[in-house]
Amino acid sequence: MSEINNTTIPEIATIEEIKDEIVEVKTFYFSFDGRTDGKPFTFKSGQFVMCTVFGAGEFAVSLPPSPEKDRFHLTVRKVGKVTSALHELKTGDKVGIRGPFGNGFPFDDIKGKNVIYVAGGIGLIPLRSSIMHVMQNKDKFGRILLFLGARTPQELMYQYNLNEWKAAPGFETHITVDNPVPGWDGETGFVHTLLKKADIPVKDTVAFVCGPPVMFNAVIKELTDLGFGEDCIISTLERHMKCGIGKCQHCSIGRTLVCTDGPVYTYRQIKTLGEQI
Amino acid sequence: MYIINKSQVLDIARELQKEHQVYGPVMEKETRQVMFVAVDDIAELDLSAPIPAVPPKHAVFPHFERIMSYTYDRRNKKVEIKPDYDEKPKALFGLRSCDLTGIQCLDRFYLGQEFVDEVYRNHRKKMFIVTNTCNAPFRQCFCVCTDSGPSAHEGYDLNLTDLGDQYLVEAGSEQGKKMAERLSLSKADDSHRKRKEAIVDKSVSMFDSIAKDNKAWISRVVNRVTTGLIEEKVWEYIGDQCIECGACAFVCPSCSCFNIVDPVTGIDSADRMRTWDSCSYEGYSRMAGGHNPRKPVEDRRNKRFFCKLSYSQSKKYLRPGCVGCGRCAWVCPGDIGLPNVVTYIRREIQE
Repeated sequence: MSEINNTTIPEIATIEEIKDEIVEVKTFYFSFDGRTDGKPFTFKSGQFVMCTVFGAGEFAVSLPPSPEKDRFHLTVRKVGKVTSALHELKTGDKVGIRGPFGNGFPFDDIKGKNVIYVAGGIGLIPLRSSIMHVMQNKDKFGRILLFLGARTPQELMYQYNLNEWKAAPGFETHITVDNPVPGWDGETGFVHTLLKKADIPVKDTVAFVCGPPVMFNAVIKELTDLGFGEDCIISTLERHMKCGIGKCQHCSIGRTLVCTDGPVYTYRQIKTLGEQI
Repeated sequence: MYIINKSQVLDIARELQKEHQVYGPVMEKETRQVMFVAVDDIAELDLSAPIPAVPPKHAVFPHFERIMSYTYDRRNKKVEIKPDYDEKPKALFGLRSCDLTGIQCLDRFYLGQEFVDEVYRNHRKKMFIVTNTCNAPFRQCFCVCTDSGPSAHEGYDLNLTDLGDQYLVEAGSEQGKKMAERLSLSKADDSHRKRKEAIVDKSVSMFDSIAKDNKAWISRVVNRVTTGLIEEKVWEYIGDQCIECGACAFVCPSCSCFNIVDPVTGIDSADRMRTWDSCSYEGYSRMAGGHNPRKPVEDRRNKRFFCKLSYSQSKKYLRPGCVGCGRCAWVCPGDIGLPNVVTYIRREIQE
């Protein structure tokens, strides 16, 4: 039985800072006005929250871990009605938060292993939380590799983190863009093509994959060709969600619900769901 | 077990009315359509009326309901949220056993999983349920196949059975027993119980042979749906007949999907509404940005029957999701009510 007490009614939070990331993507830093149960807000990397934009509606968004104790952040792309309304908000405006919901990343199971991240576009948002966790506990993991693809160099998420990661010892970054611009001296092409070229450990390795469905399928094919087991490929899925607590069933995929059984699945699980991702 | 004269049976409803909003079957005079609705005049209730067109699930899960309202003062950056749960005591009077089973499915799904649904819990908190044994099946009923009728076994406070001149009243809970005692009902004896058994046996025997033949088939179909061994062409055949009206979900006693919207009610106020939703709608799984993992209609039809017939979903209900009321078969403009889908899959197995 869950101990979360905001399953239906959101808690009010204040936006303290807004940061432009790339085109149509912003990060919103917020803190709670006062928790209804008086306890600190805690969550696991890979979980998500339902965020209310008052007067517009509610949407599901992954919640990256925060370096600060009382301040949290959400990185959101402007796509639909509610996220567009969120992008209109200013510092000091209120949002509603329900959660955290979902299972989170299985960090205990992957200790001592090599970790590969494959992200397409804003697929880096949920993976960044996992990357930061692994970076902070680097001694517990083997090699760490990041493969990142974006449409253009301007659409590479978290430039500041990328520069930091590139410089970090023991962290291998491979970045590619579909449409290079003059001055781009990196790789071009889709992200799965990078996997073939790079020297990738397969034994004792876990791959985290997140991105649009087309990219996901191409990457999975590449990884299984390389010899990755189905349990060693982990992804976090996205679905239309309304309640977050396993009741509205909008996020059902196969026999599972992404909100309570996911959003983190292994490829073996995804394969048995019998539905498109 | 107690006995009440037929002419006095509505006294139970009158007694319930003192503390509850009573819901029951009412036949509309002109159309002769039976609806299960909230009533103020107990005399309108009709225990002999056929199965209502729409199940009573709206008493615990309304078509649309406000779950909270809020104001957001943009200038002063102030938000106030007011939860709006419906805690009114309600009494469902003259429920058929299939519909009671539907409510039990909803109970197990909304209250028995990882999270408890607060909105539903409040509807259910102060409820009194009086069921009514079906002396004869209505058109397209097949509760004998799904183990949900014609008489309720559990989950009621009082169960009524028409014995001709009298009603047998069985108490299924402490609350029901107290009610029977408050009405000073006279005790029934063994002969009454035997009369009820004979009535139920007769009722079972009146079900279409097709409905009874399907009994064994349903479990085989459950097996097929769960293991995914049904050929794509069967789902396509089923999908071709679906016009995506959503009627099957709205008349289903165990369908529980809902949508949530925030309609604006003023310059700086809005409501959060819950509304019924159906997995047959194209927008059901469509995400912001337009990606829809369940675009073809057969993928969506497949989902509904998966929900009603698969083992994994049955684990949530502790029984199959279908309660055998047959309403989906009445309302479907195509020919894909649940009994027919069972038949199509059955035909494939036989081939």
